[in-house]
Amino acid sequence: MNDFDLEQKLKAVRVPEREEDYWESFPRLVSAKLRTTPARRPVGEQHWPPRLAWGGGIAFACLLIGFAIGHWHGRMEKNDPYALLQNGKMLREVLTLFPNRVRAIIQDEHGVQLVLSDQSDIPASTPIYVHICDGKQCSSLVTFSGQELEIAGRKVTVLLDAQDGVIVAGPQFAWSSDQPAGASSGLKIEARSLSSITL
Amino acid sequence: MGDTDEEKTWVLQSRNGDPAAFESLIRAHQCMIHSLTFRMTGSMADAEDLAQEAFIRAYRQLDSYQGTAKFSSWLYRIAVNACLNWRQREMRRDQIYTQWAESNAVSQSEPGPDAPGWEVPAALMKLPAKQRAAIVLTVYDGHNHAEAAKILGCSETTVSWRVFAARRKLKRLLSAKGGSNE
Repeated sequence: MNDFDLEQKLKAVRVPEREEDYWESFPRLVSAKLRTTPARRPVGEQHWPPRLAWGGGIAFACLLIGFAIGHWHGRMEKNDPYALLQNGKMLREVLTLFPNRVRAIIQDEHGVQLVLSDQSDIPASTPIYVHICDGKQCSSLVTFSGQELEIAGRKVTVLLDAQDGVIVAGPQFAWSSDQPAGASSGLKIEARSLSSITL
Repeated sequence: MGDTDEEKTWVLQSRNGDPAAFESLIRAHQCMIHSLTFRMTGSMADAEDLAQEAFIRAYRQLDSYQGTAKFSSWLYRIAVNACLNWRQREMRRDQIYTQWAESNAVSQSEPGPDAPGWEVPAALMKLPAKQRAAIVLTVYDGHNHAEAAKILGCSETTVSWRVFAARRKLKRLLSAKGGSNE
């Protein structure tokens, strides 16, 4: 099947029609739901104290995580400096502390960094381990499919395909674990799915 | 093309708490939003839930609408995010498949697995949500990759990859399906 055939097949599918009554009643249904939910806050009346409290809580939790990661790191770096990121227990604990918010745990020459999303919008999925070297500058990370991150000074997107293959894509390169010798724009990349880790 | 004067008035009145004005906005955009939510969920019932959720979110966020983008684009972005964040979606989808598989009867409003053309929605549902969104935005709603990237809040490269991966998977699924049917 070529692209044209696929396009034709996709476009041939129509959205099922709804009755005229449905379109008449839908706006009223939404209005009714809005009446039963709390009203919109007027402009300017933002609730900063809870936001500050939430931000403070996150900052404190990050400090704790940093301390815990540093502790693990100290114990592990004698053997494999990047073993920490593939440690199932560490991953589980971090993910439990920040459910659906961990975008990545990055380890580079500056240390270990936890990248969190503002909202709980990171779906639970198989973690992916990526190691990228740009010359002598190397970074390792654990992330999830679909995350766009800045690694070694470059914006990259990490994706996991249906066969557990990893794709690392940037503005001028695309690397795939199926074809590790492919175009990677001078970067040395290793990546694999951590499907063996039970989260 | 920007919003019409009438639409700008409705937005203003809605901000001031006029329910009739917001209903007018819903009426103007409900088909577009339902179409998007149906493509994303493959279910009429889920599409309705998500369309409601999108309009409710839009109402609550009306103060953040600056008027620099078209209202429809702003609303569309909210609906896409609602689709992507809707966590119950996967569970309900599985339930629907099970029900369809167990029943030979095809209802009038909801297509069944054996209905003509059903293989395409079924294949779309097998894509990860973000890849499905990339296909819905680019193929069905005619956005280019740059526009889709803006709506999805990611880079154009990411959209290109999602479209590429989704097309590869869809071709595989639909070729296999077509082969077994013919």
